[in-house]
Amino acid sequence: MSLSSDLQAYFGSEAVSTDPLVLDAYRQDQSFVKPRRPDAVVKVKDVTQIQELIRYANKTLIPVIPFSSGLNLHGGTIPTQGGIVIDMSGMNRILMIDDKNWSAVIEPGVTAQQLQDELSRHNLRALLPFGIHPRRSALTSFVERDPAVAAASFEYGNEHIMDTELVLPTGELFRTGLWSAGEKPGSPLGPVRAMLNRLWTGAQGTLGIFTKINIKVEYLPMQRMVRLFHFDAFPEIIEPLRVMQRREIGWECFVINNVNAAALFCESWMVPEQLPTDLRDASEFYALRKALPPWLLVVCMNGGPRLPEEKLAYEVAALDEVARQTGMSRYENDVYEDLLCREMIRPWGILKKFCYRGAVHDVSFKTTLRRVPEFQRILLEVLNRYGYPFDDVGVYILIMERGRAVHCEIDIHGGIPGTEDAERIYQLWLEISERFIDEGAFFDRPYGAWAPLVYSRAGTYTEKLKQIKKSLDPNNIMNPGKLCF
Amino acid sequence: MAENKPRKVVQKRLPREVYSALKNVVGERWIYEQRSVVETYSKLSIEASTFLRKHEKDPHLLPACVVLPNSTEEIQAIVKICNRYRVPFIPFTNGQVFCAPTNAQPTLIIHLSRMNKILRIDTENLSATLQPYVDYGQLQAEAMKRGLWNGGCPLATSLCKLASQYSFAGLWQTDLKYGLLNRNIVSVKMVLPDGEILVTGSRCIPKAGDFWEYGPGPDLLGLQRAAAGTSGIVTEITVKLHTWVGDASFPEIPAGRPSLVDVHEPKYDSPPAPLKNHKLYWIEFKDFQSQIRAMREIAHAGIAIGLNATGVYSAFYCSQTQEMTIQRCRTKFFPDWNCYVILANITSDQQIPYEERVLRQIVEETGGIFLSETHKPEVLDALKPWNYDCIRHTTGFRMNRKMYANAWLPVGPLDSAFETTEQWKKALDLFGECDITDRGGADDTPFVYALQRGHFCFFETDNYPDPVLPEEIKKAQAFGIYGNAVFVTHNLGPMLMAFLNVEPLTTMFPEVGPNAHLLMRKLREVFDPNSVCAPGRQVFTEEEWRQFPEDIKAAVNKMRAMHNLPAVV
Repeated sequence: MSLSSDLQAYFGSEAVSTDPLVLDAYRQDQSFVKPRRPDAVVKVKDVTQIQELIRYANKTLIPVIPFSSGLNLHGGTIPTQGGIVIDMSGMNRILMIDDKNWSAVIEPGVTAQQLQDELSRHNLRALLPFGIHPRRSALTSFVERDPAVAAASFEYGNEHIMDTELVLPTGELFRTGLWSAGEKPGSPLGPVRAMLNRLWTGAQGTLGIFTKINIKVEYLPMQRMVRLFHFDAFPEIIEPLRVMQRREIGWECFVINNVNAAALFCESWMVPEQLPTDLRDASEFYALRKALPPWLLVVCMNGGPRLPEEKLAYEVAALDEVARQTGMSRYENDVYEDLLCREMIRPWGILKKFCYRGAVHDVSFKTTLRRVPEFQRILLEVLNRYGYPFDDVGVYILIMERGRAVHCEIDIHGGIPGTEDAERIYQLWLEISERFIDEGAFFDRPYGAWAPLVYSRAGTYTEKLKQIKKSLDPNNIMNPGKLCF
Repeated sequence: MAENKPRKVVQKRLPREVYSALKNVVGERWIYEQRSVVETYSKLSIEASTFLRKHEKDPHLLPACVVLPNSTEEIQAIVKICNRYRVPFIPFTNGQVFCAPTNAQPTLIIHLSRMNKILRIDTENLSATLQPYVDYGQLQAEAMKRGLWNGGCPLATSLCKLASQYSFAGLWQTDLKYGLLNRNIVSVKMVLPDGEILVTGSRCIPKAGDFWEYGPGPDLLGLQRAAAGTSGIVTEITVKLHTWVGDASFPEIPAGRPSLVDVHEPKYDSPPAPLKNHKLYWIEFKDFQSQIRAMREIAHAGIAIGLNATGVYSAFYCSQTQEMTIQRCRTKFFPDWNCYVILANITSDQQIPYEERVLRQIVEETGGIFLSETHKPEVLDALKPWNYDCIRHTTGFRMNRKMYANAWLPVGPLDSAFETTEQWKKALDLFGECDITDRGGADDTPFVYALQRGHFCFFETDNYPDPVLPEEIKKAQAFGIYGNAVFVTHNLGPMLMAFLNVEPLTTMFPEVGPNAHLLMRKLREVFDPNSVCAPGRQVFTEEEWRQFPEDIKAAVNKMRAMHNLPAVV
């Protein structure tokens, strides 16, 4: 029996493909992870089929690669060692929206836009990351710990996963949270150990496949207000941010430079359907980049579900007070403020940045606020050596948990795989990454080439992960070649 | 099992070679084998099964030896000796739960009381790094001087250690805003059961610093949490800090701190209210439905830092004697259906006025009524011990009840409170109560903790047997096992004690997960290949399960059969 006939016998001919043209859609993304065509793709419909496929893979020792939307952008679903892609994009049901307790159960194929659209009908919202593609799997975004744009809020912007259901690497079904005791969801805790579910987060499908999760959702604020503040240099932002966060003002709070701001405000660009994308006319972008201040601080305040005006009033007054105290200057532009208000709920407009050079290779890491200028200096040093202008680099600094940490995304534009400048951009991106890691940037989600750089430094953590992997996935069939596995 | 005639308990001894090796690590002053000392380590406070073992004079409850190390390096050396000689060890802090030897082998207690320093408070990045014996009160006293605090304190006193609560519990009065301890750990440094040192989060990467909790990649900080001391010994824990708007020095109650001797005296009843920039409100409701509806609305409104319903707890928490507790239960002195709400001015001094307007709107809609100078002022006055204790436990362990031996702590959506109460009533009818206070949670509201803006909640109902009566404790134990069967058949929550399961419940309820015990077994092999760290406490190996007493298996299976669950063999 061949792989193709085996799989067709299990799943039917319509669900299985070994056609090279079909398989090529799964061989690469816009990242620098080396492309590789899978041996087959199976479009699964339910959890039982996933279990069957996992058991088959264990029997035949063929790798399996979980795939939901393919919009990870960091090579997470590229079949590094070949094998079968489990395409779950068809499992796209929102199984439950609990209006009373504010949670939603989603399958892997549910997209960010689909989820937000449906939730808005219930006056609810999911807390999504800035720059999520509207077609990206919402489930994958949560389990891969993409930081929500509201991450500055300790209460609302972090830890969204409640109950989970997953298929373990040996094919058994396993549930966490209240689901572990039955069919009803409603808690993130347990079983046996309180935070067990976190083992499978940031794991790129190497330790199991999530088949549905229950996530926290929040009320959709009927009144929101964005305030912008402008700065000439990043170090000027630090103290106002620190003061503002200690007073817990706003949910969403981040800093973007003029490259990202120009892309976001550029009316002639659209969010591309596919990534990488074709280059677009950049004249409006250039004009905006020139006109905008070097750095913009964005703060969004949300009116409560009750007496929203009153809540906004005292928060705005507090923010104004901080501005006065710290000498922060407001950047007044109603159009941009309105646009950003919308982006807090549907935060994919920034993906217009791909229109500039077709591809964007980010260097994403966590650090502390005061160390950001240190990494900026290293960045400038490497850019200078490569002759790459800082004016072409996008910067997004997201405040996490009232300033305990910041999430940094440094965007290098260009380098569409297979094009002329790909190798040069790759070397630049890799060197920035290496220098950052050397200096203590924390790559908490080590994709692709970052993985060996991170895990070679993590000592016992790495060793224990390897032992856990061996214990849970003795045949190493789950997305092998990723992380330290 | 218990025998009729008195039994002499003979203390086991470690082989001399092992004793010598341990002495070389900690020095002669910090190692004890004297009976008078090791006996202290077998007096455990609230865990029913261990308490019964004490009654039954189980000789295995007595440790062979106690060491008190002073550093991570010393602990690592001790754990490596234990691995070399296959000596079981038990990490020990306060000795409240889950700290007894787990099998018949001579067992070493590793008491962490010398490691009691706050190593660092990072005011810039909002965290504090603590040694394992640092308690909540100690941390908060230092953090509040800097305008920060850790976000809460368990009702089980501010003497609880945060590192110890990483292994078990960590439920606070201000979980509404700050979440459980789960949400408040940045990293741990721990000596694993095999003697390796694990550091989690950003701290595991050189030069990165200690500020981020997840990863790299799959998260081991979460995996090791709530392991009941079986995942190793935490030697440093970094916890998150949050803005504190109260006084730089937490005010003491005028009478000072009570001691165990005088905790009952009325002078400790009246800490003044409110704290600077905080307000506490008590609300009474006409029925359980109104109370739960109001709690949901308050949680969802985005106001308040703490929201809990205290139920019968108010009776024994605010009474001076057990007799007073019982009297107040009988006369229904405290409202059956209630909750308290803590507001704080964090963003602005206009925050409390705004939140109070929202609160009053909700209370009016749900038919609640504030306790005040005009409505039940005597009850409001009697509730004063909560004034400080809802923020930091200052009154001491003043629980005027009998032994706290077993609890149902299911977790789920707020509506689960109704089902929990119904099931608790059924269990009371079936087994009979240990004490009148058990009726709290049936006739009154259970203790309801609204967590993380009401996305989920804990419901606590307890048994209070007389600690000198083994039959009463057995009854409480049966409640617990019965409760686990209730949870898996009624989908009320996977855990007996809310945060974790311990054996034999892990293996004997394979519905949980399902088969969570098999996964935990694999993980145990990874972290504790020589089975030395509290072996068999959280999950049995196949071999330990085979050797587990058949009569206990039968007792658990009897409870399972009552719920039409098949026997586990």
